[in-house]
Amino acid sequence: MTGPVVFDAHSLPPSDNVNPYAFSVALDGQWFLQKGKMIAYYGEIDFQGVGLGRLDRLIARSFHSPLHAADWVVAEGRGKMVLADRAFDVNSYDLDDGNLTVRSGNLLAFQPSLALKQSIVPGFVTLIGTGTFVAASNGPVFFVEPPIRVDPQALVGWADCPTPCHHYDHQYLSGFLGGVRAHTGIGGASGEEHQFEFVGAGTVLLQSTEQLMAEIATGASPHQAGVPVRDR
Amino acid sequence: MAHFRLHGSKVLAVEITGDAVKAKNGSMVAYDGEMTFKKKTGGGEGLRGMVTRRLTGEQMEVMEVKGHGTCYFADRASEINLVTLHGEKLYVESSNLLCTDDALRTGTTFTGLRGASQGNGLFTTTVEGSGQAAITSDGQAVVLRVTPDYPLRVDPGAYVAHTGRLQQHFQSGVNFRSLIGEGSGEAFQIRFEGEGLVYVQPSERNTIGGEV
Repeated sequence: MTGPVVFDAHSLPPSDNVNPYAFSVALDGQWFLQKGKMIAYYGEIDFQGVGLGRLDRLIARSFHSPLHAADWVVAEGRGKMVLADRAFDVNSYDLDDGNLTVRSGNLLAFQPSLALKQSIVPGFVTLIGTGTFVAASNGPVFFVEPPIRVDPQALVGWADCPTPCHHYDHQYLSGFLGGVRAHTGIGGASGEEHQFEFVGAGTVLLQSTEQLMAEIATGASPHQAGVPVRDR
Repeated sequence: MAHFRLHGSKVLAVEITGDAVKAKNGSMVAYDGEMTFKKKTGGGEGLRGMVTRRLTGEQMEVMEVKGHGTCYFADRASEINLVTLHGEKLYVESSNLLCTDDALRTGTTFTGLRGASQGNGLFTTTVEGSGQAAITSDGQAVVLRVTPDYPLRVDPGAYVAHTGRLQQHFQSGVNFRSLIGEGSGEAFQIRFEGEGLVYVQPSERNTIGGEV
């Protein structure tokens, strides 16, 4: 019988998966990290809330989401960190002068060479620039190209394509009964009357389940004129 | 001696030839051959164990499985990790201990603040001797080696078990910002020093420390 694979400070990969659910990052400098996604580390690493005055320049350059500020920290120092998220599949993605929008709860960490911006779609954040980030999905991620309609719960994120719009099943909504059904729920629903629709060029990232991360309250959009309220 | 092997990553198959293993109560999913299942009170550690476990809150519902054949164990589809012990001691939370060879002795030990930070109480379970044991984790566990030159910090919520001669230090980085909602979320860590292996799961239990 062979024993389990044992990792130490040297054999942990510098930037790769340890197993499908854990990712190792060699840190030499700074990384943004979502709170509670670090499970273990070797070396000397400090974790600072993003409100720290000393980090002002870094935050001004790479972090543009006051709503999510309470969920993020800056990991600083030298060492190796192991990241994981509720036993979800984790993967790293490289952006080369690109942009990618991802569900805020699914983003574990990113390099400060990327800039995080809050997406106009509630609960999502957009990463812009060049660098590496680590994101989680429930089940492996698969990539599809627009035009496509996807289940809202299966959506992990999208890259390079315009922001999606809602799509409702016309048959389901048409006529008087359809109206009653849409407004009251009486008459039953298949649960698939509503999708996100993507058009244009780009890539859409889907997870192989409809189970979501628990929503984080701070991901909700502020109540202001012109800001859409999260769809119920 | 019973032979442990994994059947996939979430089912443990144990071949038993006349001897016995101790397993979490109700974790048997199938068996072939002839088996008897007997509930053991107090974690199978006699009256003293019964009292200790009651006092320390490290209660463990254990059954003794005896017979000839193959017995399959699983626990809520959690991942199973095999640990082979050659005389060293395994420290594990009782809720993560699935099955141990009958030749192994189990007991309880004081963990101090580390236990409190995990929300698991102040005590943990020890497994000692020579033989195989199976522990469960939420997602495939990562096994990390600690050497004197390379101490390891672990998030209390992700800690599952450890073996070897390790000292644990409870480390807190709480400062005034934690009190005004600017905490780092990683304010509490366990620092492992010495020589040994630490099992970490890719998922965090809810802990008091995680809120700070």
